Order: sequence, then C-alpha cells, then structure tokens
Amino acid sequence: MTFRNTTAAIAVAAGLAAGAVHAQELTLWSHWADQAAKVEFVESAAKAFEEANPGVTVKINWYQKEPLYAALKTALTAGQGPDIFYAETSQTEYMANGLVLDLKDKLNWDAIEPWATEVWGYEGGVYGFPLEAWTVETYVNTALAEKAGVEIPVEGLVGAAFVDVVKTIKAADITPMSQGVGDRPYPGAFLTHDILLKKLGAEDYASLLKGGDVKWDDPRVREGLEYAKEIIDAGAFPASFSSIKLGEAHRYFHTSPGAVMLQMGSFYPSRAFAAPDAGGQPDGFDISISHGPIPEGAACPKCKTIAVGGSYVINAGSEHGDLAAAFLNSMATPEMGNKWLEANLVQTGIKADPSKITGDKAAYLQKLAAANEGASYTYGIPVQQMQGTPRETFTQTVNQAFPAGLIGVDEVIDMMSSAY
Amino acid sequence: MSAASQSPRISASGLRMAALLLFIVIYTAYSAGPFVWVASMSLRTTTEIAANPYALPWPWHFDKFASAWLDSNYDTYFFNSVSIVLSAVALLTIIGGMAAHCFARYRFRFKGVVYFLIFSTIIFPPQVTVIGLFQIMVDYGLYNSRIGLVLVYVSIQLPVTIYILEAFFARIPKDLFEAARIDGYSEWAIFWKISLPVALPAISTTVILNTILLWNEFLYAVVLITEDDKRTLPLGVLRFLGDQLEDVGMIATGLMIAIVPVVLIYVFFSERLIQGMTAGAVK
Amino acid sequence: MTNSSPPAKKEKDHANPLGAITTFLLPALLIYAAFTALPVLRTFYNSTHLIVPNRPAEWVGFTHYVELWTDRIFWKAVWNTLTWAAVAPILEVTIAILLALCLYAKVPFSRVLRVAWFTPVLMSYVVVGILWMWIYNYEWGALNTMLRGLGLESWAQPWLGHPDTALASLIAVTTWMWTGFNMVVILAAMSSLPSEVLEAAELDNCGWFSKLWFVILPLIRPTLLNLIVLSFIGKMKVFDLVWVTTQGNPLWATETVSTYVYKRAFQWSTFDLGYPSTIAVVWFFIVLSGVLGLTFLFRQKDKLEY
Repeated sequence: MTFRNTTAAIAVAAGLAAGAVHAQELTLWSHWADQAAKVEFVESAAKAFEEANPGVTVKINWYQKEPLYAALKTALTAGQGPDIFYAETSQTEYMANGLVLDLKDKLNWDAIEPWATEVWGYEGGVYGFPLEAWTVETYVNTALAEKAGVEIPVEGLVGAAFVDVVKTIKAADITPMSQGVGDRPYPGAFLTHDILLKKLGAEDYASLLKGGDVKWDDPRVREGLEYAKEIIDAGAFPASFSSIKLGEAHRYFHTSPGAVMLQMGSFYPSRAFAAPDAGGQPDGFDISISHGPIPEGAACPKCKTIAVGGSYVINAGSEHGDLAAAFLNSMATPEMGNKWLEANLVQTGIKADPSKITGDKAAYLQKLAAANEGASYTYGIPVQQMQGTPRETFTQTVNQAFPAGLIGVDEVIDMMSSAY
Repeated sequence: MSAASQSPRISASGLRMAALLLFIVIYTAYSAGPFVWVASMSLRTTTEIAANPYALPWPWHFDKFASAWLDSNYDTYFFNSVSIVLSAVALLTIIGGMAAHCFARYRFRFKGVVYFLIFSTIIFPPQVTVIGLFQIMVDYGLYNSRIGLVLVYVSIQLPVTIYILEAFFARIPKDLFEAARIDGYSEWAIFWKISLPVALPAISTTVILNTILLWNEFLYAVVLITEDDKRTLPLGVLRFLGDQLEDVGMIATGLMIAIVPVVLIYVFFSERLIQGMTAGAVK
Repeated sequence: MTNSSPPAKKEKDHANPLGAITTFLLPALLIYAAFTALPVLRTFYNSTHLIVPNRPAEWVGFTHYVELWTDRIFWKAVWNTLTWAAVAPILEVTIAILLALCLYAKVPFSRVLRVAWFTPVLMSYVVVGILWMWIYNYEWGALNTMLRGLGLESWAQPWLGHPDTALASLIAVTTWMWTGFNMVVILAAMSSLPSEVLEAAELDNCGWFSKLWFVILPLIRPTLLNLIVLSFIGKMKVFDLVWVTTQGNPLWATETVSTYVYKRAFQWSTFDLGYPSTIAVVWFFIVLSGVLGLTFLFRQKDKLEY
C-alpha cells in the first residue's frame, strides 16, 4: 500500500515536472448541483488546472447535499470514493477515522483566512480547503418595515424594544419574521442561538452546546430562552413555520406575503439575487442588514456567528493526493477569492479584497461589511458544534418545537438537559 | 310484484344510489385531485403558480416539456430507467416465477426454512443493508454499473414476487399438472406452458407492483451509481428540487414525463389482469 | 444442471424430482445469497461490533443492545411505525373493497374511475411528499383553502407541523397512495369468482351486505391476506415519504424506524455502523413477530403446509 502510494506520489511529481507523461484523472464529488455560480467557479478552476497540467483531467460529479452524503458515506466506508470531496466543518468523523488527508503542509495557507484555517484544525492537522463561509445576519425588508411603522437600526434593538417592534408589526397584520424548518435542521434556531450567544458570550455558549460546565438550567440560559419565548409569543414567526423550506422562507420574506425580517446565513444572495421568476427578490427590492435582538444583560452584545460552509477535502485513500492538493492550491489565490465573492456574494475562506469589487453588487457587500464591523465571532452554528443525541434534540426542540410555540422554556431545558 | 311494495324500495335504493355516488365523487376528488393539480401545474410556469396555485393553465406552456427533456439530461435518465427497470422486471418475473412454482408444486427438505429465509429478510431496513451491499458490490466489480443495479433491484423485489406468485400457484388444481405429466410434458414445459399462463393475473400484479416500485426507486440509485450518464429518472426529478429554489413548475413537468410510461404499463396490464381473471372464472 | 432429469437414480421421487427443484430454485437462491443474505449477515455481525473505516472491527458484545433499550427516540419510532403499520392496511383494504365493489357492480364510467383511483401509486414517494406538503401548507395549501372556503376557518392548521396531526396526515397520504393498488387486485380477485356462487346468493335474495360478508369476502380471503401483509411490510419500511416531508419532525411525532436508522447511519457525524445495525436487527425481530402473528391470525383455517 505504502509502496503504491509512494510510487504514485513520485509519478505525480514526475508528471507535474515533465508536463504530463501519462493521463491522470482526478475525481471530485461536490454539493451545489443547482447553484450555477458555484458550479461555474469550480468548473472554470478545473478547466484552468487541466490546461496548466496537460494529461490531467478533473472529473466532477455534482450532487444535492443529501444524496452526496449518502453516496460518500457508503463509498468511504468501503474504502472507495473520489479523490476530492465536499465536506463541512462539523464532519469531524472524517478526521477521527483518518479518511481525509492532512493538508497542513500541502496547501498554501497564506492565502487562507486564519479563522477558516482554525475551524478546519483537528488534533494538530488542518484538513479542509474552506471555499464558502458565511455569517448569521438579520435581513430587513425596508419597505415593509416602513409600512408597519417600525425602524430597525443596523446595531440592533435591545431587550423589550425588539419585542415591541415585533408586536407593532404583528398589529399591522404583517409577519414580523419569516422562517421555516421544512428542510433544514438549523434555521429555526437562529433566533434563540443568537440570543443565547450574546447572553452568554462565545466561550460559555460553546461550553453549553458541547456539554461542558455551563448547563442548560443555568439562570442565564433560562433568561435568554425566556426572552426568545417572549419574541416567539409576540407572533414573530408565520403559522406555517414548521413546513416552510429554506428557499420558501426567502420568498416569504421578499415576495409573498412578505415579512419584515429574515434571520439567515449570509448565503442569502445565492437565492435572493436570482431573477424574480427564478425565485429571486422583486426588482428594486431594498434590504438592509442589522444585528438581531440583543438580550438585557448580554455578556457579548457584539457577538456574531461565522460559519465555514462548503469546503473541499482530499480522500486519504486517494492515489493522487498531491495532484489533488495542487488543484486546490490553484484556487487559493486572492484573484480566485475575489472571483468567488463577486460570483456568489457570500464570504469565502480564501483571502479576498472586497473593496476591489465594483458594480451593483458592491452596495450589498458594503452593507454586509457594515453589519459586521467590530463584531467578535464564534465559529459555527449549533448543529456544527454538536453531535449525536444533543444535536438531534436541539434540532427538534430549539430549532423546531420551541419557535413553533409547541413547547415552552421549561420543556426545552428539561429535554436538552437529559440529552447529554 | 305489486306496485305498492315496489315504490318504497325504489326510494330506498335511490337513496343508496345517491350515497354511493357521493362516496364515489368524494373519493375520486381525493384520489385524482392531486394528480390533476400536478398535471395542470406541469403546463404553467413557477411564477404563474406562485401567483395563484389553483388557476387553470393558460396559456399552455408545452415548451416546458421540451426544455425538461432537453436541458436536464432527461433523455439519458429516461433511457436508463427504461432499460434498467425493464430488465429487472423481466428477470424478476422469470426467476421469481420459477422459484414460486417450485415452492408451490414440489415437496422437498428444508422447504419451509428456505422460504422463511427468503421472505424474512425483506423486513430489514434497506438504509442499513445498503452499506453492506455497497461493500459487496465493490468486491464484485458491479459498483457504478447498470447491470449491478438491475441485479440489486431483482434481489430486493424477489421475496415479494415469490410471495405473491406462490400464493397463486398453490391454488392451481393439482389435477392440471398430473394431466400434463401424463401427456409427457417435462417439468420445465409444465412451468412454462401451464403455470405461467394460468397465473397471468398474479403475474400482472407483480409486474405492475415491481415496475412502479423500481421505476420510483431512489436510495440504491443514489448510492450505487455515481456517474451522471448512468443515473435514473427519480434522480432527474430531484434535480429540479434544488435547495436553491423549489422549481414547482418544472418538478410538475418532470413528474408528468416520468409518470407516462408507468400509466401505459398499468393500462395495458390491468386490462390483462381483469380479462385473465374473468376468463379463468368463465371456464 | 438445465436437464430436468435428476442424476441420482437411487430414490426416484417422480412427483418431486430433485433436478427440477434445483433448476427452478437455483437462480433465485444465487441472487438471494449474493445480494440479500450477505448484507443481512453483515448487519447481524455489525450489530455486535464497533465498525469504523480503516480499523479492524472491534467486538463490543451487546452494549449496543443495552444502549438501544434505553433509547427513547428509538421506542418512539417503533411506536409510530407500528401505529402506521396497524392503521394503514386496515384503511387501505377496507376502502379498496368498497371501491372494488363499485367497479364490480359496473357503476358508470368504471373504466375511467379505475385509472383515476389508481394514479396516486404511480408517483414516486419523493414527488408525493412534495405534493402533499403543498396540499397541507398552512397558507395556500389545498386542504386549508378548502376548509376556509367551507367556513371552517378554525380547523385550518399546519397539518404536518403539529405533533397531534402530523402522523395522521402522513397516514392519510399512504392510504391515498396505495388504496387504488389494493382496489385493482381485489377487483381482479372478485372477477375470478365463479359466477354460479354469486348467482346462487342472488337467488337466496341476500342483502348486498350479507352477500359481501358471507360470500365474497371469504372467497377472496387469501388475496386480502396477501394485501394486508404487503401493506404491513411496506409501512414497516416507510422512509422516503417521511424523509421528504417531515424528517421525523415535529418532536419525533413522525419518526419511523427507517428514518431513525438513516439518521444514525448517515447523519450522526460518525462512521459507526454498529448501532444502526443493532436497530435493524431488533426491528427485524419485532416485525417478524408481527408478520408471524398476522399470518397466524388469518391462516388458522386455510393453513398452507410447508
């Protein structure tokens, strides 16, 4: 095995040096089948790589996320699988089982944001090439806010002020916040997550999620949950909350029937900036971005969440490990970073310079930057930080039943406490 | 019968008729309504549907069928589905029929055990066995191959096929076989020329059931096939189901394309099914 | 092998020639052994091991089984699935009998109705799931729109979003889907009944109900049993529909054993196959006793001999 790997590595090195002696094929399995901008980005990088390395072909299979994970899990278990594949930072099982290659000495980390490198760190190694990154934002439908007679400043509203805004909007017969958990295990938890994070501060909050010293019956947690409950009971979410899918929540917010706020990852533009008849927001739609509700007595009112999303990792069993790393490196340049930003309007782990971006998209990126000014970050949303039964329970309670109004603060605390 | 005794009975039966009609109308709306709704949506664009989900399709966007077929690799998926499902159903009918015939006709040692083994394993959730199956497919070199998928499809539907056919074969009168044997029929000829034709109704049932289930099969198709050129229709429909945007109109169009072949198979075989049954009864 | 005359001539059993038996059974057995038995055996093996890639399997005894015993989500899933498997076959077969009778009695448009009633089963679960999510949608779904139209505004609710209605709503979907299939099979069975029997019943001037209850149903009993067992097994494995619509939400109200197994095997950030395999094995025995019980219940009289 090692012998084969070594020869393969030598062959790769020789092939690279000599400019292709024999044909080699890199296989890549990726999510994003229906996200044209990302497909375009990766395909063009692959094409450029093929041109730079004659004899090498990059074969990409695009999947939806769910089928991709099923296919990967079975293939990797059987010692098969592509050379490069899509992964997210929560999938520590890849590292724990030695299924992915340590990229510490293989990738050009100078071109990668330090926080993105940190998130992919695992027991001394660094394992993922962080293409996509996003923050949790509160988007505001400016026209509807005006219609409801409320104002939501960029720095967010504190305590009862936010609850009052929700009540005012509701009284105007408008949905205050669009949201849905029809097809994702996390968006319903954005509200509570953001409140608890600010209430506890990043460190204590991480401890709470991971079953450390801070417990769910901590008085601060209770206060945070009660605050969230107040907002929920004021009628913040649509009645169909449970069945609205992620894409629908966007439409609900900007098109029909319309909602004043939408708490969403900053991947919002990937859907909303499409043409109106492809599910995008209406022409001339005006959004602003603000901080979410801030609880009284918050330990960290400026705390926000940044998550590394879609990344690429290299199969430890790959015979073309170095070639695969070379391909990933070809994407780790500031130019590619800017290209990503411009095409996708969502952050990236590649160092990029947003100020160089001009045109109609620049305004949006400026708003995004303004909302993140002075923020201190925690890495990852809860489902990325949790595992096993706590994760499942969190998904069912904090993400769904609690915001849907099916259970109260006591039940959340009970169920979460008994899940660890 | 006197007119006096007849008139109340007519009103009673009239009432019953009305109740029956009401039941039929309500059930038909429940059962066919969603289908009609999808059919109407297949001719409308997603924007139109979002504006009013229940409006009549006007104008008719027949071009959506063309674009679903051409732009989304549907022709490849369709061809793959047809070839894979047809081969699997044909194999199932013959192999399952042979085994069922054997179980129904002969006595042999361990018959109960073998039957029990075959039948009991269908209870296993495929979500678990698929992983073991995958490893085995890799060992056989059948991973990512259409032939492999056909064989897996045969194996997953085999127990139910045997179960249905065996129950039917067991009811064929033994005299029929005795007579055939005396006429000098070989065992194979008895199966081919007597069992199979007589069991046409049961075979139609299994053909319909297997076609429908395999045509829509999803889990194995996802896990065992990686190349886009070898993928089947259920994955094609899923394509429109992106998490970016639920393209309601295109999903409906894709669905209508996927559904036509099964409707045809059903219409064809269900006629056979009823005819076969009735013919058998008349004899 | 293909020759049907057995090579062993010592004990010739003309009625049960070994060669023919082997020939008929062999293809099925080969496929069964290769593609079904092996993965299942593996599952049994896995259930007592810690299975992770790149490491030899580690024997953990019955710890998975012990853990499963106290796994509340699992028992919730078992309860939901059993409810589904108990209710759905009864609904499907009962309605199917009524529908088949309508067609048997040649109501007008019966050919059209036969196709109309059957169409639901032709759609894949993925599509059915999406379709019914639209129908159950709170704001613009067909069901709530209809209720509001009838002035029953207060009945409108997010059907799949509430723990009290979610499971029932999904059962309604599988019933919608499979009743037509059952109807066709029952209709075929009814058509094969000897007409003399029915005529005799006609002469005796039976009411239609007693005719159904005492004459038709007993005669098509084997068919009914088959359908109930088939439906029962189908519901025991129900996965796609739940996965597309609710993924087990809300609060595990629609969690089924298959969805839970899938979550544990593919989504729980672990490669361990042991625990999901244990679920499969335990579930196997639960269902097996269910099927045996059903068979016993229905086949006491017309028992088949093995």
